Amino acid sequence: MDEYSSSVCYTDFDDDGLETFKRYKPRSLDELASRTKFSKKEIQLIYQGFKQECPSGIVNEETFKHIYGQFFPFADTSSYAHLVFATFDLRASGCVTFEDFLLCLSTLCRGSIEDRLRWIFTLYDTKKSGKLTQEDFYVTIRAVYSLLGNVSSPRYDLDTIREHTASVFQRFDKLHHGYITMQDFMSFCLSDQTMVQSIDGLRTTV
Amino acid sequence: MASVAAWLPFARAAAIGWVPLAKNPLPPPPFRVPTSGASPSGNDRRCDEKIIINVSGRRFECWRSTLEKYPDSLLGSNEKEFFYDEDTREYFFDRDPDVFRVILNFYRTGKLHYPKHECIAAYDEELAFFGILPDIIGDCCYEDYRDRKRENNERLIDDRLHEDEDKAQPKPQSIRETMWRAFENPQVSTMASVFYYVTGFFIAVSVIANVLDTVSCGTDPETGYARTCGERFSRQFFCLDTACVMIFTVEYFLRLYAAPDRLKFIRSVMSVIDVVAIMPYYIGLFMHQKGEVSGAFVTLRVFRVFRIFKFSRHSQGLRVLGYTLKSCASELGFLLFSLTMAIIIFATVMYYAEKSVVHTKFTSIPAAFWYTIVTMTTLGYGDIVPKTWAGKIVGGVCSLSGVLVIALPVPVIVSNFSRIYHQSQRADKMKAQRKARQTRIRLARNATSNAFVAAKRRHEQYLDDPDIPVDKNIVNPFELQHHHLLRCLELTTDREFVEMGPDALMGGGANAVAGAHPTTGIARLGSPARQFILNRRKWWCCGDRMNNTNATTNEEELDEELGDFQLPLSLTPRASGSTGHIVNINTTNVIQHRPSSASVQHNVVLHSTISESSTNRFDLNVPFDTDDRILGRRKTNSLTPVQEQGSTNDLLNDDSHTTTIPTSHSDIIHRPTTDDKQTV
Repeated sequence: MDEYSSSVCYTDFDDDGLETFKRYKPRSLDELASRTKFSKKEIQLIYQGFKQECPSGIVNEETFKHIYGQFFPFADTSSYAHLVFATFDLRASGCVTFEDFLLCLSTLCRGSIEDRLRWIFTLYDTKKSGKLTQEDFYVTIRAVYSLLGNVSSPRYDLDTIREHTASVFQRFDKLHHGYITMQDFMSFCLSDQTMVQSIDGLRTTV
Repeated sequence: MASVAAWLPFARAAAIGWVPLAKNPLPPPPFRVPTSGASPSGNDRRCDEKIIINVSGRRFECWRSTLEKYPDSLLGSNEKEFFYDEDTREYFFDRDPDVFRVILNFYRTGKLHYPKHECIAAYDEELAFFGILPDIIGDCCYEDYRDRKRENNERLIDDRLHEDEDKAQPKPQSIRETMWRAFENPQVSTMASVFYYVTGFFIAVSVIANVLDTVSCGTDPETGYARTCGERFSRQFFCLDTACVMIFTVEYFLRLYAAPDRLKFIRSVMSVIDVVAIMPYYIGLFMHQKGEVSGAFVTLRVFRVFRIFKFSRHSQGLRVLGYTLKSCASELGFLLFSLTMAIIIFATVMYYAEKSVVHTKFTSIPAAFWYTIVTMTTLGYGDIVPKTWAGKIVGGVCSLSGVLVIALPVPVIVSNFSRIYHQSQRADKMKAQRKARQTRIRLARNATSNAFVAAKRRHEQYLDDPDIPVDKNIVNPFELQHHHLLRCLELTTDREFVEMGPDALMGGGANAVAGAHPTTGIARLGSPARQFILNRRKWWCCGDRMNNTNATTNEEELDEELGDFQLPLSLTPRASGSTGHIVNINTTNVIQHRPSSASVQHNVVLHSTISESSTNRFDLNVPFDTDDRILGRRKTNSLTPVQEQGSTNDLLNDDSHTTTIPTSHSDIIHRPTTDDKQTV
């Protein structure tokens, strides 16, 4: 198996300067293993798959869309991929390095339920305002529906999405503030046992 | 696909974002999830191992999962076990290792390249051996491959033609066919060759006669003026002409009789030339009798020169020239246009320059055209020359620019000939390729989606009746997880994925059949030859859709309409009127291919949430969202089992085409379906 050199991330330029491409090499395997909850072997596996899809070492939004496109064959993956990408992009730089990717994946796969709920909150909170409004829910739900593509039954339309949004928001917004804070969200989700189970169910071994 | 499999954990992990939004509780995972981040040991990690492939002594190693990306090929399927060597624990192939390198790279990268130094026949053989279709070759190498293949095929065809000359041809059915073959292909029989040469001879004779007709042949004893041979030997020429025209007429009518498609023959260029070649004679015959308008008669004789074009049947080169001229028409047109512009400009300038000269030949601008043309083509007859200095300068510039204007486009046109010819061939090829490739992509996507629905159905069947013998093929963990993910999406949004297939159109009729044959429906699901089909008009026009009387016509019309859409849309049959029944209809559709009634509860649970929210969705008075065409107000015919076509048709490209919703869908909605009610 490859051993990663402990070099710092750097930007690479082509020789004749015509095409510049960024290339990232992650820090050492040991360091990554210590920072995340994955074992070395798992990180190796993840990296191999990652590198296959993104040889340059960085993922951009297009790749996310493409990946989702492979799992949801008829979907319009751009909106959901955009949402997920925004959460992975910890430094809001427009590209996700392997480290960011691994850290997020570590949270999602191996983190505590609270961490994961926090991640979900960040996913919904597109404007980074710390509060979830119905608009945020609408955007997210619409993105999820677009993953279905057109091959679902029964068909859906904007009204369906709106109703869905309304019903979900009502469920969360018990006090009718019109927004939901992180605390509310977490407490509500933790109290719902089926939700916790479902979240656990989507944990995947690598 | 191993690389995609590597991303599945990511996709699944990100899917926890759906959980708070889910309308229904999500299903449990398909495997036991290790609790609290204990890292799994190696063996359930990837179930992967390195395998060694020994090709004529050169060892290649790769992961098993790399090879399993393409299960239809030799290396991806069990077929490779035939080549397994127990002693050395490797797979041994006695084939070309260089080509194998390329093939293995295909598994690794997903792109098949064609090494240019390889012989095309050897390469094809290797591909065939390893079960890989050549049309997967990547864009970078595909043209090269195709060109080489074409050359090779032409060589093969040439070889075969030489062989065939000795072999006996299949006997044609009728005299007509014999004649047609004889006309088109003079080498077929001696009779045909004789005919070919005879007509060729007479064309030549006729043309020469036309030419000699006008040669001066001594003086007329009566008038003392010189006269042409045509006048001197008018009877002989007339007999000759008559004979030629006889032959041409007979030939024309014979061809007309023998032609398989007479209308097409009449419209073809050669036929027109034939007619134009012989008409002047007949017109002359009639007009001669009337004795009038001999001037027009003389003009008509000019058309006799068209007989020379009949040679194009005898000459391949002429035909090619004609074709290339036709295909380069735009370039020629441009040349003509630019020349015309230049001519007009220079003629104008010359005219005004020479206007002051007394007795100038440049009497008008059109008169100057002649000068300009002669100068620009560097002919320089000298019959009309400028006298003023300005005129001479302009004349000089004219001749210089003439050289440029004419010399430049000519090589361009010449190169255009070959470029356009190759390009048009390539464009057609690429269009066909692109269509085929899109088809494959569509089919693959279709297969993924259908595999999921199939697996789901199998699972449900299994749940309903565990005694039914379940197919023992083990679904790989990747698929399990992928299907679980799709199932989560379904439950989150309270929708179901449907299969695509011809059944989507066969619609209501299929429903009736479905209940009787659930297993057969499922068994057919594995067919790879599904297609997207959509026949929009069918929904609204065929009222008997429920009874499936138009099954066959559906298929025929499918073919012609495939060009329009590729989205599947199917309509569930609805009960009449009240929205309250709609839930039942949904469930009955789902139920209809369940064998037992125990499943009813399962489905009722699933769809019960639809009832509340469905009422306004199926409210027919609500206007359509015409701006958001993707979301149609239709219910799809979920889970209708398949009545497969098995034929592949070309499909179109992108997802963005959707149908607009006709307004008369209320007819469909209100139609009663007795079958549905019974099963409820």
